[in-house]
Amino acid sequence: MEEARIGIYVCWCGSNIAKMVDVEAVAEEMGKLPNVVVAKNYKYMCSDPGQDLIVSDIKEHKLNRVVVAACSPRMHEMTFRKALENAGINPYLFEMANIREHVSWVHTDRDKATKKSKSLITAAINRVLYHDPLDKRSVDIDPATLVLGGGIAGLAAALEIAGSGKQVYLIERSGALGGYAAEIDLLAPYMNSAAQVLDPLIEQVQNHKNIEIFLESKVTDISGYVGNFDAKIEKKGKEVEKKIGNIVVATGLKNFDPAVIDRYGYGKLPNVVTAMEFEKMLKIGKVETKTGKLPKNVAIIHCVGSRNPDYHEYCSRICCMNALKFANQARSILPEANIFDLYTDMRAFAKGCEELYTQTSRKDVLFLKFEKGDLPTVKKAAAGDDCDMVIDMHEALSGEDIEVPADMVILMTGTEAHDDAKDVAHLVGVSMCGNDFFIEKHPKLDPVATTTDGVYIVGNCVSPKDIPDSVSQAKAAAARILASISQGSVEVEVTTAEVNEDICCGCQTCIKVCPYTAIGYDEEKNVSIVNEALCKGCGTCGSACPTGAIRSKHFTDVQILSQIEGLMSLEV
Amino acid sequence: MSFEPTIVSFLCNWCSYTGADLAGTSRIKYASNVRIIRVMCSGRIEPTFVIKAFTEGADGVLICGCHPGDCHYHEGNYKCLRRYHLLQKYIQQLGIEKDRLRLEWISASEGKQFAELIDDMTETVRGLGPSKVKEVMTTYT
Repeated sequence: MEEARIGIYVCWCGSNIAKMVDVEAVAEEMGKLPNVVVAKNYKYMCSDPGQDLIVSDIKEHKLNRVVVAACSPRMHEMTFRKALENAGINPYLFEMANIREHVSWVHTDRDKATKKSKSLITAAINRVLYHDPLDKRSVDIDPATLVLGGGIAGLAAALEIAGSGKQVYLIERSGALGGYAAEIDLLAPYMNSAAQVLDPLIEQVQNHKNIEIFLESKVTDISGYVGNFDAKIEKKGKEVEKKIGNIVVATGLKNFDPAVIDRYGYGKLPNVVTAMEFEKMLKIGKVETKTGKLPKNVAIIHCVGSRNPDYHEYCSRICCMNALKFANQARSILPEANIFDLYTDMRAFAKGCEELYTQTSRKDVLFLKFEKGDLPTVKKAAAGDDCDMVIDMHEALSGEDIEVPADMVILMTGTEAHDDAKDVAHLVGVSMCGNDFFIEKHPKLDPVATTTDGVYIVGNCVSPKDIPDSVSQAKAAAARILASISQGSVEVEVTTAEVNEDICCGCQTCIKVCPYTAIGYDEEKNVSIVNEALCKGCGTCGSACPTGAIRSKHFTDVQILSQIEGLMSLEV
Repeated sequence: MSFEPTIVSFLCNWCSYTGADLAGTSRIKYASNVRIIRVMCSGRIEPTFVIKAFTEGADGVLICGCHPGDCHYHEGNYKCLRRYHLLQKYIQQLGIEKDRLRLEWISASEGKQFAELIDDMTETVRGLGPSKVKEVMTTYT
């Protein structure tokens, strides 16, 4: 092995790291370690000048190893690997020490944080000494795409991809396309007909020669990797297999069941309805109570199941504007009725929404505010009352306890993840957050990609959102996929396992533990063989191998053991 | 000065390391005694790594993986769990207290839980005092 010449770069991250870690002292001390040729600190290593610093040092000082101490490798490992590549050295001869997320942002003692940074960097230096150059593997991209979910997001993604001549397989578990949008009468804030928006979209999808639709179907298995997935689709008991290169997950959300909130009386009081049930009344043009009368008092309650630690802490985003939409529609149908809108905060953030709020407030709708922790209670009215129900509430703006008459109560139910979101997550290999929404690769900079290459998440399965946002995400994912298809191939991780045939004893333990059946057995040589295309680099075979014959590339025993030595070389 | 333990922690890339990153982005403060090593999957954590950490002087070793059923590689965390139970028996026979080695599940959204875990384990190990493994090893070998 040629002599190691390491460059160390300690990032300030503005003041994010420098405030809590003495970056200058760290760089100076690290510079004294064996094999370290240059040790520098710089304001923003990820910036262009920061990366240029690495590139020019590699050339000038003939560096063959680089360590950057900065943020999480999940953030910028790729950035710096690229810089190494630009300088003409193998990108895997690089290691990051996470001194921001794991040090400066979580500790309060500058001395301790500085010491900890030194030990993490020493560990990184020890590790990088044993890094091997790895060749990137390029795989062809199958131009077909699998879209999971036939709601508006799935439809938009499918059309966009199919429109550029690529094959799409669209999977919908129900018997019809359109998702929730198909059950909606008008769309807030412009009150245009949902059917006029949706129907042409469905028609285009149905008639598109590049889109194959699978209704009443589900995907039972997905194997492979970016560019080369195999999907098993079950359609009415029959199984079909399709080869695809990319996957769009647009599985949406379901509505919150308000029966669990006892005080709203849903399921007990006949005229308490959910938003979707009221929508159905609007769609058939018949807004009336269970006894067939026109309601004289209509009350709309916001935040049902949302923004409440007992149910869901998040805001479901779409309900406030739907509530205003209902108030407007109720006003047109029932010109004489009293309309009450019981809200906690009015969230009118999107285009045209604040205007809808202003318009609605001019239509004789009484807005009543309740506090988040002080929910109204719906009860049956007394025998002599001139209404079916009475809502007890503390009106926050007047500070008074009031009774609101109601003949119909509309609960603005929030949205939540499907019960089987976890199954979908496992199927495609994406992570979920605490609310069972799927997690983006980066919430701000890469919001439709996931940590599994080739798998994109769009629409409400990521978080509650309205139609424009869902469609934007769908089209963003489509653009990403089309870009990868037009590239034709993609570089994939090469951190797979490999077998040293000389010391493999043929015990086949690795074959038993591999979750991807990526290891086969060569009967003639009596050794295990790794199929690199199937191996995902989890490394569990490496831990099980009794002879050390299997190596997990980039996570080898010697790399991790020397990293441990480095960590422990300095006192806490 | 009170005893400051060193805890070496092995975190899987997909859940636990991300959870630890979330503790950072959420600016949740916790004890600075932990030193984190990233592996792709908790199934990669070899018993050798744990023993190495103890022999190098770690006072505690913490292994974190995805919650059961959430493993990015389907079942690596179950393999980790099985090895953990064997390893617990082994370290206890070597005279290492069982509380010095811990396995916990931390998801990508559990930054707060990760911070609490580190504080909790730091206090437990501080109570146990310094590990004697390194000292014994250097004296008798």
